[in-house]
Amino acid sequence: MFRLLVEKELKNIIQSPKFLATFLTCSFLILLSIGIGINEYFNMMEQYNTAQNLAKTEMAQARSWMSLSAKAFREPDPMQIFSAGVNYDIGRYSIVNERQDSKLQNSVYSDDPIFAVFRYMDFTFIVTVVFSLFAILFTYNTVNGERENGTMRLVFSNAIPRSTFISAKFVGSWLGLVIPLLVPILVGLLLLVVFKVPLSAAHWIKIVLLISTSLLYLTFFIAFGILISALTKYSSVSFMILLVAWITLVFIIPRIGVMTASQFISVPTVAELESQKDSFSKARWEKHYGEIEKVWRARNAEMEGMNEADRESYREANEYKWFEEDDKVRNDVQRDITEYSNKVGEDARNRKATLENLALNISRISPASSFQLAAMNLSTSDINLKNRYEKEIQNYRQTFSTFTQKKQKESGGQAGMFRISIDSQSGVKVSSGRDESSLDLKEVPKFTQPSHTISQAVVPTIIDIGLMMFFTLFSFGGAFVAFNKYDLR
Amino acid sequence: MNTILNEKKEFPMLEAVNLTKKYEDGLLALDNVNFKVHQGEIYAMLGGNGAGKTTTINIFLNLIEPTSGETKINGIVTHVQPLEAKKYVSFVSENVMLYPEFTALQNLDFFTRLGGKTNLTKDDYRQVLLRVGLQEDAHNKKLKGFSKGMRQKSGIAIAILKNSPTILLDEPTSGLDPKAGLEFMTLLDELRDEGKSILMSTHDIFRAKEIANTIGIMNNGKLVMQRSKAELENADLEKLYVEYMAGYMEEVA
Amino acid sequence: MLSLLIKKELKEIIGSSKFVYSFAVSALLILITFYVGAKNYQINKSQYDAAVAENIRSMSGVTDWRMINHKIFLPPLPLASLVSGISNDVGRNIGMQGRGELIAKDSKYNEEPIFAVFRFLDLNFLFQIILSLFAILFCYNAINGEKERGTLRLVFSNAIPRDTFILGKVLGSTIALILPLLVPMLVGFLLLLVLGVPMSFEDWMKLFLIIVTGFLLFSVFINLSVFVSIITKNSSTSFLLLLVTWIFFVLVIPKTSVLIAGRAVNVPLIDELNTKKNQFSMQLNREHFNSLSGFRPANKDNFMQEFQQFMEKNNQARDEKTKSFNEKLNRERINRQEVQQAVALNLARISPSASFSLAASSFAGTSLNLVSNYREQADNYQKQFAKFQQEKTGMTTGGGGMMFVIRTDGDKKPPEINPAELPKFEFKPATFSAALGSGLIDIGLLVVFNIIFFAAAYLRFLKFDLR
Repeated sequence: MFRLLVEKELKNIIQSPKFLATFLTCSFLILLSIGIGINEYFNMMEQYNTAQNLAKTEMAQARSWMSLSAKAFREPDPMQIFSAGVNYDIGRYSIVNERQDSKLQNSVYSDDPIFAVFRYMDFTFIVTVVFSLFAILFTYNTVNGERENGTMRLVFSNAIPRSTFISAKFVGSWLGLVIPLLVPILVGLLLLVVFKVPLSAAHWIKIVLLISTSLLYLTFFIAFGILISALTKYSSVSFMILLVAWITLVFIIPRIGVMTASQFISVPTVAELESQKDSFSKARWEKHYGEIEKVWRARNAEMEGMNEADRESYREANEYKWFEEDDKVRNDVQRDITEYSNKVGEDARNRKATLENLALNISRISPASSFQLAAMNLSTSDINLKNRYEKEIQNYRQTFSTFTQKKQKESGGQAGMFRISIDSQSGVKVSSGRDESSLDLKEVPKFTQPSHTISQAVVPTIIDIGLMMFFTLFSFGGAFVAFNKYDLR
Repeated sequence: MNTILNEKKEFPMLEAVNLTKKYEDGLLALDNVNFKVHQGEIYAMLGGNGAGKTTTINIFLNLIEPTSGETKINGIVTHVQPLEAKKYVSFVSENVMLYPEFTALQNLDFFTRLGGKTNLTKDDYRQVLLRVGLQEDAHNKKLKGFSKGMRQKSGIAIAILKNSPTILLDEPTSGLDPKAGLEFMTLLDELRDEGKSILMSTHDIFRAKEIANTIGIMNNGKLVMQRSKAELENADLEKLYVEYMAGYMEEVA
Repeated sequence: MLSLLIKKELKEIIGSSKFVYSFAVSALLILITFYVGAKNYQINKSQYDAAVAENIRSMSGVTDWRMINHKIFLPPLPLASLVSGISNDVGRNIGMQGRGELIAKDSKYNEEPIFAVFRFLDLNFLFQIILSLFAILFCYNAINGEKERGTLRLVFSNAIPRDTFILGKVLGSTIALILPLLVPMLVGFLLLLVLGVPMSFEDWMKLFLIIVTGFLLFSVFINLSVFVSIITKNSSTSFLLLLVTWIFFVLVIPKTSVLIAGRAVNVPLIDELNTKKNQFSMQLNREHFNSLSGFRPANKDNFMQEFQQFMEKNNQARDEKTKSFNEKLNRERINRQEVQQAVALNLARISPSASFSLAASSFAGTSLNLVSNYREQADNYQKQFAKFQQEKTGMTTGGGGMMFVIRTDGDKKPPEINPAELPKFEFKPATFSAALGSGLIDIGLLVVFNIIFFAAAYLRFLKFDLR
């Protein structure tokens, strides 16, 4: 009996004229979004490779270790094919050197704002908007429609328990809506293989998880549609309710969650942070200049009374020692500044994290938010992308600075900047102790991408998957209860 | 199933016993209704709109429960053992709709299986469709293109295929042209001869008089008159009907 | 006759419970949009004020105009909170020097990616998503619904000319759906006033234009729906067809057009540009250094001043060369970008929704023009700032490299600068006529779409099978 009802449900869906049209539309959109994603991925990789090569060329131009600057680039992740997330909003690279604070800059949207006008269409977007609409279109009248056309009474003139009927509705609708969609999805995955997108086993696991989460999302809307259909007498009413619910869940709540949270929590702005860091930096450098001036005056005082030739030899003898001393002091300054900067950044990040968590939790009232968040987590385009990179870049900056300082010491060459000697007798002397030969860059530490293991991707999604499951079960349970009291006439 | 029909049953196959239904808002839809339909009998329920005919059928189908009293199918009380009772009944609604995207054959297949018969073939379905007067070229057409007469025929085909000992019909000939109506009545006749018990609600006084073994007139929830065919032989049913409907007369059955 | 039909349409729509619920939802959303827009403006304004204040504060205690860290900031525009466009993707502050390249940094989305996760609820969203669905919901069965119910036959059993009927349908639906929506819109305007969003007269005119354009889009969907309800047999088919069309207009066509243009038109990578600039700069630095090394003071007693003058002259020459080189590269890239943008936007204009979006952001000042506008005004300010620096210090800073200023007058501390003397950066959004001009083509397109769909509906209805 159950099987018979399930089969009927399946056939009813597939034979309906709206099925072909919606199935074709969904398939087209799935393939288009994946195709576009693949294209964009390869473009981003090309840009990444070009940029890295250019950075290497630039590095080769440096003539001293102190003036050496590296760039840390974000490597595009193939998972971003499925969900663009904040990928295009966040800077693509950061300049890394001792002097400068490391910060991601030059996002795709800021470099080429044309792409920000309409933004991207990815697989996650298609699922969020189109799959849910598809589900509603087929389930809005699944219970009350049968009542309206009289088949309900006919069915229940047979020995069918209500629980069997409603369960069969759910299973049949699920099979009729989910299974056909697997076809374009699998074709989409095939495209990944055909176009030779480099996917590791970890990637494939994430992809499978993403597809499953998408199907869970679809399942929620199927259950929800059945629930509303079982709660209302007329299909025109359930349709209205579901359309409004769809707009609210998919579009309104996610946006409102963030905007509500931002009203309550204030986070220091970029400008404030920069200013804070600048002030500290400037004060520290000023202090340094004051001290180094004294040091130089003292050194000049040491040479008082000597003739030109003696001064020259004295200078040469002490050159290395003075350089080391200056260097150490300067490093101390830099270290102080970096530490302060990091601390300020850390504080700001924590406050921001509180805001973000509140915002996202409010938005989780809607399964559409949960789904998008889960998809972003699995695709490494989630909101923590920026933090992950900035932490890694900070570490890299540390490693890089240590390396360049070491090299600078070893080479004994002078700072890349020119040195202005103040000599009250011979006046200004501008000299540079730097080599004109290029540096041996073979051992320069390279930037490694922050890891994003499967567990790192999956753990944050557990709450969202859990929420979606809860909402789905709640809807189905609700439908079950509602149908038990449903007036079948 | 046939074995049930072959047995001669002494008790009525369809029975309403002191059937009363009062709605929450106070509306008394049925007031102490009693009737019996035996094997091989057709009982016609006459009455205006809102008299309680459809409510009675809905209680037989356990779509609503009686406030007091009971209905029985094959001796089983329907609101106590609904699933068991439904094994012995088929139903044809006033406006047969079925699934619009399924063909006649597909609809038949589904509902027959639902009724418990899983070993019938396409040919069996075709035979029954032909028997009810649905031409061959319509069998594979989707229901949504069917006229009212075609849909009624499909409905009765489903009831025939279930081969249950009782059949409930809600205004089966309303909206049918005279020829189709006559064909339908002929079918009912045949089914009665096969031993089925048939409860039929209708406005059609004349067909009722022709075909029914017993006629009951319902008015405002009460069964105000019940006469057998013999008793009605010479009576002017139409006059009686109008008088009962106007409330001039009331008989306690 | 016509007015009778219009009145019937009005009553039928407004009297339906469907209307009550959809209107309630739409009205609520309109109010939320204005409210949240106003609140966002306030937040952005306080962020801006804090940034400007902090900028000034960081100059306190500084004694040399050349040592300041001056930044200019893009102020929040009131209309940007109602139509966000690309305003959150543009860098908000620019580090200002007397010469050298100006680079905008720290866009809102880059700094606060939480907003990039789900983005904003604005008028663009309201008209494109909510209100166009609203229009479809009421008009998808405008004609075939009446046929299904049998009322069409009944109507035409009277002496009604077909053109009167179709005109009545369209006008009636339009009035019934648009007029009530004006109420929450007006309340929204009030909200802006009450919540203290500073709107100039030109801002109000621009907002008015945005709303009018929005309703133009709305009536495109009304006309389209009526047309589809004429060419399809049953109402569930027309609804489905309209839904698919809506998905394509709103979601697929605009995004795909941009991506096609992105691949069809080559724009030099910004990384390539930066590398070229760096290389050229390094080359110039070497030359500069060599020249400095060869400096021998003419007058030993005044050597510091002479040296600084010499450095300044060299700097100037170097920076002029850098500037013209960079400008040439930049101009090339901008030209290619503009070609790319033209292709993208013109392709996108196949969709009336895209036209609306472009028009709305043009009027609000958050279209791509914002980028060039900001750049231009920043360049102009730089000239002002350079002149100021020249007056105060006899030189201009900029062009990279650290500034060593060696104090020559002992330990006496020079007087602090007064940051209030700095020229202020006042960003001026486009004038009303400029904004109107940039959005005119899209308004025109929307009018054309309206005419096309209405004409199609009209002509088809003349031959429609009424039975």
